[in-house]
Amino acid sequence: MTPETATPVVALLLTLVLAPLVPGVATRTRALLTGRRGSPVWQLYADLWKLSRRGIVYARVTSAPFRLVPIAALGSVVAAALLVPLDGRASIFAFPGDIVAFAYALALARFVLVLGALDTGSSFEGMGASREVTFAALVEFALFVSLAALSVATHQLSLSGLAGAPLAERWTSATPALGMVAAGLFILLLAECSRSPVDDPTTHLELTMIHEVMILDHSGPDLGVILYASSVKLSVLAALVARIVWPVARLAPAARLGALAAALVLMGVLVGVVESSMARLKLPKVPLYIASGAALSALGLVLLLR
Amino acid sequence: MLLWIGLGLLVLAAAVQVALRRRGGADTIFAILVLAGSAMGIAAAAGVLLDGATVSTTIASVLPGGDWVVGIDPLSAVFLVAIFVVGAMSAVYGIGYMRYDRELVAWPSHAFFALEVAALVLVVCARSVVPFMGAWELMAIGSLLLILTEHRHAESRRAGFIYIVATHVGTLALFALFAVLARDTGDWSFGALAQGTHAAGAARNAVLVLALVGFGVKAGLFPLHFWLPPAHAAAPSHVSALMSGVVIKIGVYGLLRVVWLVGPPPLWWGWTVLAIGTLSAVLGVLWALAQHDVKRLLAYHSVENIGIILMGLGVGALASAYGQPTLAALGYGAALLHTVNHALFKSLLFLCAGAVYRETGTRDLEQLGGLARRMPVVWLLFAVGAAAIVGLPPLNGFVSEWLVYRGLLQAGQSAEPLRLAVLATPALALVGGLALACFAKVAGVAFLGTPRSSRAAEATEPSIWLRGPAFLIAVACAVIGIVPPLVVPVVLRTGSFVASEPVDSSFVAASMQGAWQVAGFAALLLAAIAISALVMRWLRARVQRRVSDTWGCGYSRVTARMQYTASSFAEPLLDVFGRASGVRTHRGATVFHSEPFDLVLDRAVAPVWASIQRAAVRLRGLQQGRLRTYLVYVVGTLTALLAYLVIRGGAR
Repeated sequence: MTPETATPVVALLLTLVLAPLVPGVATRTRALLTGRRGSPVWQLYADLWKLSRRGIVYARVTSAPFRLVPIAALGSVVAAALLVPLDGRASIFAFPGDIVAFAYALALARFVLVLGALDTGSSFEGMGASREVTFAALVEFALFVSLAALSVATHQLSLSGLAGAPLAERWTSATPALGMVAAGLFILLLAECSRSPVDDPTTHLELTMIHEVMILDHSGPDLGVILYASSVKLSVLAALVARIVWPVARLAPAARLGALAAALVLMGVLVGVVESSMARLKLPKVPLYIASGAALSALGLVLLLR
Repeated sequence: MLLWIGLGLLVLAAAVQVALRRRGGADTIFAILVLAGSAMGIAAAAGVLLDGATVSTTIASVLPGGDWVVGIDPLSAVFLVAIFVVGAMSAVYGIGYMRYDRELVAWPSHAFFALEVAALVLVVCARSVVPFMGAWELMAIGSLLLILTEHRHAESRRAGFIYIVATHVGTLALFALFAVLARDTGDWSFGALAQGTHAAGAARNAVLVLALVGFGVKAGLFPLHFWLPPAHAAAPSHVSALMSGVVIKIGVYGLLRVVWLVGPPPLWWGWTVLAIGTLSAVLGVLWALAQHDVKRLLAYHSVENIGIILMGLGVGALASAYGQPTLAALGYGAALLHTVNHALFKSLLFLCAGAVYRETGTRDLEQLGGLARRMPVVWLLFAVGAAAIVGLPPLNGFVSEWLVYRGLLQAGQSAEPLRLAVLATPALALVGGLALACFAKVAGVAFLGTPRSSRAAEATEPSIWLRGPAFLIAVACAVIGIVPPLVVPVVLRTGSFVASEPVDSSFVAASMQGAWQVAGFAALLLAAIAISALVMRWLRARVQRRVSDTWGCGYSRVTARMQYTASSFAEPLLDVFGRASGVRTHRGATVFHSEPFDLVLDRAVAPVWASIQRAAVRLRGLQQGRLRTYLVYVVGTLTALLAYLVIRGGAR
């Protein structure tokens, strides 16, 4: 195996290992900026280790969907990660139109997660599920505005093309448009990964939660795998945004892997900065927030179609 | 030849029902005949699809309109497969379904069902105007009789009335369409009509507009969809499956056939189709989300999916107008594959919804809940259908939506104004997101949680008559989703047939490769999920597991009424779309309930209809039923006519 073919695999493994670090970095940044010391950056690793040894309590009314949630969450997000050029040049698997597969694989995990929440018969989890599908539908719309813009810019139909070498050339000729698309994508990343200002991962009141309230009844290793899968999702999307803002296709393999690690940490810091500087939005305002991301990307798309 | 035998068996099946009525064995013979007939029909269609050759027969006729031409070409073969698969499965299911209702005489409904399938076959095989319109009307009347199966309910009678009015408006448009098309050629066969010159001009534009109206009513395009939800809800579920699965697709067939007849359509038509498709898809799924009657909800999803099909068709039409034959084949092929896929998963969903209705006696989501424990097989089949219609991999809905996305994104790379078609991509994504919300609602509220009524708590698994056909359709959904190379090249070849462009061998090779790559992704996804399952199994085996109550957030006396309802689940999303979402909400201190209404039927068609009726009531004064009055009318009319002739200069 040459270094060129091995880097995508190494990049995926690196992402899978570093994933729990990203929320940790975000939380730590937020704590430092708000004048607290906060938990260590590797807190999630410790939590996962603890959860893997805790017992599981299944709610009496639950059936197959509830037990499928961690399986589908992890499987789908890993399958989606196979399509992302994490190493900055090529993904492990690519085909024309794989951006659709990427979005729909994440949707599969969401579908099972929502069904698992409704499976418990709890009104709190129903509430979370309802909010999740509402915001996800709008995010899906906005996400495809961005992806369509990138596809128009690069004349590519796969993520490897969109975020790979062709994009680097377009940055010089279409800087404002691509800048808007990248900013729009970052706004969506926060919404898709249930971060502030859409959702607050540290909240303790069920009525205000979205993602956390849907997994109230999960416990032990089930909860651990769900938390791990959402950190992988955050890392993969963060890496994708980083690759779009900072194309590194021309660097040597080792440098590209270093760039991936740096990008993950930097995106964690950025998420933390945003979280410390703005409070969670009122729920009725969230659609407007997502629409602002869509509008930014749409402006970029219109500029590119001109 | 096989097709004729197949048709004969269908008619024979209908005859068996009529002859044997309620005697034992009639149902089994009926099922065997329908299955055998459909198998022959599928074999005939498959032959045409595999070698791409067209077969046709001419039947001499002394009636006006010339000889009758009947045949199979790739376009009709694709639809034949859908008709026979959905028709046969629904017919068998119908036997078990009708047995739940002891008071209803079922044999006429079974006989009409077999004849309706035969009429559908004739519509797509007709190659000249007279048999086409004849079969078209047979199909329309057959649908009416099937909708009226449960005619003792006022709901069914109203639905039948709305349907028959709507469908005849469409038929009228088709008469006008063929009149314009055949104006210059004396020959009324499609072959002759296709060879006639179709220079851009008023005549061709009129044909294309009439096609959108005539076939649009049948397809249930917004804003002509208003007949569809009441009809699908009121008909027995196997009839809904046939109507939603294939009858409305005949509208899509008609549009593709007209494109094939008149050649590359003008730009305005392509843009119109794309715009109507996008609008239908978004509004259809939004209105579906507002429904709490399972079958009405599924009916609105048909409006959505017809919209998605038209988005593919619009891309095809635009690409062929801009002279891009491969993209045209991709667009038409995407439309065709989504047509077949929707036929499969929508009929599957209707069959499952019918099983729920028969077992619980209600179609109201707010009365259901917890059915997954009572009917696990129906739940599994419904979940497959739901995931497929949402477009989730690795099922068939994903493959066709992937093709539509590809068409739209590829259009975006064009140097011509065609690239603006890419703007429909986010709309398709929004439709996907809304569909996910809607099916999370149906699956979650009806099948998961705890039962909301005693009827839901006492439901049991239905008989094999109901589960068997649904299971086979679910298998077809999974097979197309996991091995798309089985179907993708076929629909793309048919797409290039519709565009009347020769098949480019490199295009076929590329599409085959793309299909294999989707298969590869499906395999990777399944492998990733299987590995996750193994990991979970290992992790779970190491720890203690126990069962307890759902976490009530400190509240200990949880009841089924406290669960999130369908109304409350959909509320935030409907709220985002404001008045376009078509619901009336009732908010009280302890109650939240929403009532959907149809923006077109209840806000436009019904008021206009009522005002026509009011005007007609005023005219009633003229009709007194007294001979003297009518004599005065006669004398008055004669005098007026004579006066007119005198003023115009008298009779020559």
